[in-house]
Amino acid sequence: MKKILMISSLAIALVTAVFANGKAAAPAAENDGTIRWAYWGSGERVEISQKAIDLYESRNPGVKINPEVSGGAGDHFVKVDTQLAGGMGPDIIQMGGNIYDYSDVILSLNAYAGTLLDVDAIDDSAIESGTINGELKGVSTGVTMPALVYNKTMIEKAGVPLPSFTMTYAEFRNYLVLLKSKLPAGTYPMQDIGVTSSSSTAFGYWTRFNGTPLYDGDTNSTAVTAAAAQKYLDLFKDYRDNGLVPPPDVAAGFAESNADTSALIAGKVAIAFLFTNQLSGYQAATTDELNFLEFPGAAATKALWQAPSQFYTVNKDSKNIEETVKFINFLVNDPEAAKILGSNRGASASSSARAAGAGSATDQKVFDYLEKSKDHASMETDHVPNDTEFNSTLFLIYQRVAFGQIDTKEGGKQVADLIQRMISK
Amino acid sequence: MTLNAKEMTKSGLLNVFILVLGFAMLYPILWLIGASFKPSNMIFTDPGIFPTTVDLSNYSEGWKGIGIVNFGTFFRNSFTICLLSALGNVMFCSLTAYAFARLNFSGKRIWFAVMMLTLMLPAHVTTIPRYIMFRSFGWINTFLPIVVPKFFATDAFFIFLLVQFIRGLPKDLDESAYLDGCTKFGIFARIIMPLTTPAVISTVLFSFLWTWDDFFNQLLYLTSPNMYTVPMGLRLFLDASGKSSWGPMFAMSVLSLIPAFALFFSLQKYFVKGIATTGIKG
Amino acid sequence: MNKKLRENLTSYAFLTPWLLGFFILTLYPMFSSLYLAFTQYSLRQPPTWVGLRNFITMFGGSETIMGDERFLNSVGVTFKFVFLSVPLKLIFALVVAMLMNKKLKLIGLYRALYYIPTLLGGSVAIAVLWRRIFAGDGLLNLILMKIGMTDLPAWISNPKYALGTLILLAVWQFGSPMIIFLAGLQQIPKEYYEASSVDGAGKIRQFFAITLPGLSPIIFFNLVMQMVSAFQSFTQAFIVSGGSGGPLDSTMFYSLYLYIKGFGFSEMGYAAAMAWVLLLIIAVLTAFAFKVSGNLVTYGSGE
Repeated sequence: MKKILMISSLAIALVTAVFANGKAAAPAAENDGTIRWAYWGSGERVEISQKAIDLYESRNPGVKINPEVSGGAGDHFVKVDTQLAGGMGPDIIQMGGNIYDYSDVILSLNAYAGTLLDVDAIDDSAIESGTINGELKGVSTGVTMPALVYNKTMIEKAGVPLPSFTMTYAEFRNYLVLLKSKLPAGTYPMQDIGVTSSSSTAFGYWTRFNGTPLYDGDTNSTAVTAAAAQKYLDLFKDYRDNGLVPPPDVAAGFAESNADTSALIAGKVAIAFLFTNQLSGYQAATTDELNFLEFPGAAATKALWQAPSQFYTVNKDSKNIEETVKFINFLVNDPEAAKILGSNRGASASSSARAAGAGSATDQKVFDYLEKSKDHASMETDHVPNDTEFNSTLFLIYQRVAFGQIDTKEGGKQVADLIQRMISK
Repeated sequence: MTLNAKEMTKSGLLNVFILVLGFAMLYPILWLIGASFKPSNMIFTDPGIFPTTVDLSNYSEGWKGIGIVNFGTFFRNSFTICLLSALGNVMFCSLTAYAFARLNFSGKRIWFAVMMLTLMLPAHVTTIPRYIMFRSFGWINTFLPIVVPKFFATDAFFIFLLVQFIRGLPKDLDESAYLDGCTKFGIFARIIMPLTTPAVISTVLFSFLWTWDDFFNQLLYLTSPNMYTVPMGLRLFLDASGKSSWGPMFAMSVLSLIPAFALFFSLQKYFVKGIATTGIKG
Repeated sequence: MNKKLRENLTSYAFLTPWLLGFFILTLYPMFSSLYLAFTQYSLRQPPTWVGLRNFITMFGGSETIMGDERFLNSVGVTFKFVFLSVPLKLIFALVVAMLMNKKLKLIGLYRALYYIPTLLGGSVAIAVLWRRIFAGDGLLNLILMKIGMTDLPAWISNPKYALGTLILLAVWQFGSPMIIFLAGLQQIPKEYYEASSVDGAGKIRQFFAITLPGLSPIIFFNLVMQMVSAFQSFTQAFIVSGGSGGPLDSTMFYSLYLYIKGFGFSEMGYAAAMAWVLLLIIAVLTAFAFKVSGNLVTYGSGE
């Protein structure tokens, strides 16, 4: 009996010890003036961000900044969602295209624009894209653009002339046919963009090209009809039927979400779709040379767009709002910080900074592309609400068409229904 | 053919069979080791197991981790969490299991059912309430949310595992000990635990390995980079919007398997070293 | 103190740590998720009560047409996975465990070797590796082409076969039940085998007459636990499909869809409802297994 009493009292002692100790041991977690900066990134980004933090801390004694870094955007948002739901969100949250879905939890920076946050130094278009319903919610970290990228080494090896930078859809198709005739069996001119995980961007381009943009936030409506969506599915059905993109089961093997799932890197296709800021990551995963070309038809329609690759946003429940805004101002406007951070979070929003030169040949390609395609771009379309769900379901519908489960007509109808459902949700 | 030669042929064939089947098990590790020596820009373009260009820098590059914190720290953190978890599970799951397997008390069936139910709810939906709870304890950015539950036998898998093993032991063992004046705790500590060595060792091994792999909880609760663990460190090499460091990632993946492999190798003999129950039973 | 009270006290003393853990650490999150199942909860706004709506949507309500269609598909995918992968994995694990129980010189090394796939667990390397093996130009097809087969599919990205590759992955990671079988084999008294050898019983008869009954508590344990965890399978499908459950939702496991709903689509209330439906399914099957086991499982040689 004695032993038993001993066990239970030991257990109870352990409980008290652990729980009492926990309170005491809790470190920087609760509000103690530390600015918590949550972002996703790896290697280089973590290092240069830390350098910027060190510089800021040395200039502002007493300020402490804790980087809460996750490897990818997926991990980042699960962590941030949980923290926000638990009432313990970080002060600075790095956001992507889903900023609209978080607008309820982000602080409006209007009150600080012009005072703590110097907005004059930032490009108007960058300010514009971070503004939701008249409120400045996100500060752009840098600019990116959708682009097509081709494998120069592979095309030269096949003995085909390199594609011209600007083409119409008709010229583009002819070029794909030419490539098809020269490429070895088992390789294809282009990746089937719709089966890849970021399919909504490519689809978004097509709707802009056709003058039926996906979503207008002011009127909360879409210009995409079932017939308009079907045209997109028909375009790729034609490519697929003619072997210009891989058959669906090959294409679906490559989500193109990263170099390891890329048909371009695996040498299966010669052309794929990317955001410009992804080029350096892709280039680092292959010994072949990669180059940009524009989406077809951009020159005539200005259907391309520039977008912030990421935003810095402030949690509206932050306990250190002023210090946090000051730090963001430092990150985007301070010349020394700019030098440290380079174009890791997207190319700088000012063309004069870009003209000053790039750190690497790959960066230079990005700058050149941004400069050349600037005139073939117009203001970004608003994102369809519920970005993640829209993307995931669009991807599924596209796959149903690609695998022949439904025809393009039914697919077009499902896409139009989906957009309506996302808007009314 | 003498009996001895026949035995030897048999064992030779058995060895060959095990090795052939074993290659299917071995292939991935060979590939992983091969990949860890390839430069990052060749990993997805060079199909062979063996690298055409050997690049040792993946290991030195990878060990640096994310620049501000290196893999030494990640390994130390992972070890701390895993050792404590294994300790907690062994001590407290076995106490609980003994009660369920051997003692009679009112409400036993209900409590057992409740314990089994705790295994059946997908963890993702308890994530947020758990986070809120641990936050109210002030445990965010400590190892406590990961380690403490193990000291309260919350992992029912191990309780059930030990229950099944203890129930498999002959009952007359503890009955005779009881008649000799042994307390219940004495029976538990001196008779039951030693007799279930293989199961206890399994508990140690699985606790260690599964905690080592448990990326999700570590991601949620550890927020300062100097608290990060090995699986978190590995994920930090991969970022679709920037440059993923595949070579260093595979190099550190290889390193991260070594402790687990060593632990398994040093413990494996205990899986077959159950104490001869037959002798005691007599 | 009477005997009954005394025994109860002793027992509850042993149970104290577990009971404390249950009431302090487990109960609140469980109940909280049960409450969330009846709410709409976007994670960014407080939950609002919606009654049974989540459950109605799941089973054929029309509110989110795509939603419940994908849900029902995930139920089908998961059942197929559980009923194919669990028996295969257990049989394989048992066969290997008996092999690893032999007295060979290098047996320690062999055991470690066979455990390697399991050690890899849910590591990112698995995703890359599985694609290398099962892609259109993967290792498997290279071997099949060597023996003269043509027109081979890209197994991993073909909706017809993708689930099969995940079942294979589950079977290939058979280490945990194998270890538990191996441990269980030690509990069968050697003299049983000796006695039956003397009686002239062959290996196969020994297997059915001694090994299977002696191992039955452990077989039962592995069966129940593998089933419980197979129903909740997440990591491997998440990694191999890059989090999409594709192609065409053919590897959209229940837990994966639940995760996507909860965190991706910000419908944590719906995810919680899904979780409790899954709990119910697993609980019924487990209760059934316990019921049936009464006749088939024999505990302790003394009983």
